[in-house]
Amino acid sequence: MRLVARLLITSLLACPPLAAATIEVAVHDGRGGAVHDAVVYAVPESRPVPPPKRTAVMEQKNRAFIPHVLPVQTGTAVRFPNLDDVQHHVYSFSPAKPFQLPLYKGNPPNAVVFDKPGVVTLGCNIHDQMSAFIVVVDTPYFEKTAANGRAALRDLEPGRYSVHVWTADTDREPAPKSVTVGERADLTFTIGR
Amino acid sequence: MAVRTFQARLLWLIVAVLVLLEAGTLISVYFTGRDTLLQSVDKELGVGANLFKGSLDRRAQGLSRNLRILTYDFAFRALVAAGDVPTISSALENQAKRVDAGAVLLVGLDGNVTADTLEGRLAGRRFPFPAMIADARKNGEASATITFDNKPYQFVIVPIRAPQTIAWLCAGFEIDETALAEVRRLTSLDVSLWSSAAGLISTLAPQERNDLLAHMPRAPQTTIHLGNAEYETLLQPLPTSDRSSISVVLQRNLTEAAKPFVALELEIFGLSFVMLLAAVVAAIIFSRSVSRPLRVLAEGAGRIEHGDYVSPIAIEQEDEIGQLATAFNQMQSAIGAREEQIIHQATHDALTGLPNRTLFLDRLQQSIATSKRSGESVGMIMMDVDRFKEINDTLGHHFGDQLLIEIGRRLAQTLRESDTVARLGGDEFAVKFTAPTARHATEVAARAGTAFDAPFVLGDVSIDVNASLGIALYGMHANDAETLMKRADIAMYDAKKNHSGFAFYEPGRDEHSLRRLALMMELRQAVARDQLELHFQPKVDVRRERAVHAEALVRWNHPRHGRMRPDEFIPLAEQSGNIGLITKWVIRRAIAYCAEWNRGGLDLSVAVNLSALDLFDTELPTFISGLLSEAGLPPSRLVLEITESAVMKDTAYALKILRDLKRRGIILAIDDFGTGYSSLAHLKRLPVDELKIDKSFVQNLTENATDDLVIVRSTIELGHNMGLVVIAEGVETLESWHILKRLGCDMGQGYFMSPPLPATEFREWLRRSTWGEAGSAVAQGVPASGTTGT
Repeated sequence: MRLVARLLITSLLACPPLAAATIEVAVHDGRGGAVHDAVVYAVPESRPVPPPKRTAVMEQKNRAFIPHVLPVQTGTAVRFPNLDDVQHHVYSFSPAKPFQLPLYKGNPPNAVVFDKPGVVTLGCNIHDQMSAFIVVVDTPYFEKTAANGRAALRDLEPGRYSVHVWTADTDREPAPKSVTVGERADLTFTIGR
Repeated sequence: MAVRTFQARLLWLIVAVLVLLEAGTLISVYFTGRDTLLQSVDKELGVGANLFKGSLDRRAQGLSRNLRILTYDFAFRALVAAGDVPTISSALENQAKRVDAGAVLLVGLDGNVTADTLEGRLAGRRFPFPAMIADARKNGEASATITFDNKPYQFVIVPIRAPQTIAWLCAGFEIDETALAEVRRLTSLDVSLWSSAAGLISTLAPQERNDLLAHMPRAPQTTIHLGNAEYETLLQPLPTSDRSSISVVLQRNLTEAAKPFVALELEIFGLSFVMLLAAVVAAIIFSRSVSRPLRVLAEGAGRIEHGDYVSPIAIEQEDEIGQLATAFNQMQSAIGAREEQIIHQATHDALTGLPNRTLFLDRLQQSIATSKRSGESVGMIMMDVDRFKEINDTLGHHFGDQLLIEIGRRLAQTLRESDTVARLGGDEFAVKFTAPTARHATEVAARAGTAFDAPFVLGDVSIDVNASLGIALYGMHANDAETLMKRADIAMYDAKKNHSGFAFYEPGRDEHSLRRLALMMELRQAVARDQLELHFQPKVDVRRERAVHAEALVRWNHPRHGRMRPDEFIPLAEQSGNIGLITKWVIRRAIAYCAEWNRGGLDLSVAVNLSALDLFDTELPTFISGLLSEAGLPPSRLVLEITESAVMKDTAYALKILRDLKRRGIILAIDDFGTGYSSLAHLKRLPVDELKIDKSFVQNLTENATDDLVIVRSTIELGHNMGLVVIAEGVETLESWHILKRLGCDMGQGYFMSPPLPATEFREWLRRSTWGEAGSAVAQGVPASGTTGT
């Protein structure tokens, strides 16, 4: 079970969105290796966040979920199109969003709205090896690290943010870091194992 | 001591070797068996241990599979995700029944027990075996032996994935007797499980279980004693995740395990026994096959020992024994040939090649035996070559030998094949023949005699040879072979004596004659060996009743025949030409005695008998004179008695000697007067002084015996008329003594007065008798012979 702490960080720069800020994050493992597909997100500490503007898609192709990790803002509706020619039975027992899409092919009629923050572990009841995570966060500012372990959160209003990292590879999340962003901030997280 | 035959020894040897071999085999089988048994038992124990662990693993895997199926159940996963504990518990209980698990637990990711089938006993508490979770996290699932609820348990744990692990499902079963029994069923091992918490569970019987508990081994592998049996024991600790001590003990009852080996050993023992029996039978057969020919050889040797040289040993074998038998047979024939030669030498005369005395006697006996059946008459000729000694002495021994050979050859030629010619020794030959009658026997003898008709020409010498043949017939002359030979011998002597060529045995001339022959030989030595002795018989003067003469009578004390009288051996001495020797000895001794008596004051003359042959000895008178003068005895003290027949034999020569003696003053007497045929004219010419009437006239002289009385009276008168002293011999009774006295006989001699006595006893008689010194003293000094004068 993965708990995502939400820290509200009061921004010291109470500036109107005059200029966009960027937070550059690097995630390493303990041995100096880059961590790929880690979800990096920044939660404004003192301001409400705007509601999600877009939907997201979790495809099933070649008997795998694509993408493996899908960060979404709370309230996002996610569609689960089945691109395979076999049926899938997508389910989640995660408290953040338990649901199931019984056996289907193609596009299921309804999208699933993830209305609570948390990590939702997806599985297929037909194919045990299929697994994916939908990381539901209370912020529109999130990104996945690239192969070099780096991610950039852009177009942030300057202010104070609590920056979190989540990765499927560990049970021990690194502690979130508070950062006041004017124009740019650089953060480095090390994932313990 | 038992009889150790070759066969028995061989048999024992074979049996002993076999027993050793089989004992070795049995011992080897026993130890190898035990070794193999232990090895196989150890292997079995190892297999048992693996089997036990495998069994646990299999069951754990089965359980794990069942659990996994559950964890894949969507509803169950939903249930677990939902965290509905009462429903989960009921689901677990249901599952526990379904998979036959003792306990099923649901463990949360936080390591706490969420739900259990133990009535919630563990719910909400820490899962007691966190190591299993760590193991399962790494390997996907885990299995472990642990002590749970104070019992040995096997637990498995699997994750519940959705699809990430959301909880752990754990289930266990108690390792109880059934688990052990499965191994027991498959392996015939006894399996026990020992744990510090639960103690011992076991497939062993209670007694053995208690023993095991009391003596729990420490070493991994030992042999221990439980109950009444030995158990090979393997102790293997099971790896536990809670570090509790649980061990599996695998055991094999060695006594039971050894049963097939014991059966095998018994079987081998039985087989060995059968083999031993078979070997004994084979050994008996073999040893017999060896010892039987040996026995045949021994019997063959025994036959040879008993003189059977004809039947060979019959062993037809190519081996050593066969060779031995051949050697025996060769030896047998060689011995036979040699013995034949020896027998020939022993039974044949070496010089002539004729049968010898032994073989001759043998053949004679055989012929007699045959004649008893056939009725044919058997006879024999004993033959002696006349004058052979002379021939030998004059012409040499070689000539003598050649002559004997030629005689043998000629004899053999004259006789039939069935007759036997033998040389008995020296110049003595014998012929055995068969003839129906005595007349035929005469013909045979005549034919044998023809062998000597032609002169023998040997080298330059031609010689006429004669032989004397004595014939005796079986049945007529003798009833056995030896007697027959003796009698033929006697007949031969007769023939030789009579110069008759051949003579039949005359019945009556028994072997006494042979004794005489032997005595003749012995008589030669009698003088030298001092076997002769003089006895004396007095002649008594009838008127004066005084012993005046003593007649010396020679006795021969023969070593075997005892004391012999002169008439027994004097004729022999005459025949053998030894009489002169004896006469001279007697005269010498008689003169010596007489001289002694006269020196002792006795008035006695001594009378000595002369043989007819003595009268041919011209030396005799001189010899006697010499003795007399030597003894200092007057010649008139010596009376020489000559028998009437002796004087008659060769009158002229005898007279010459007698006159010589007479001239020398010696008294002469005619002995045994009346038995010869002497004419009075002849008698008148003899220069004799005395006349002894033969005892045959005197012995039975009585007043009534008119014939004898007339003869005696006439003889006395005749003698007196011729101027002779008359002496009567054989005076045995008083009556005859009186008659002689009345008739005027001068002297008497006989048993009435005294028998002939040895010198000492005669001397004693003289001392005591009234006719001797004890008589009247008047007689003394009167010359004995003086009464008659010369």
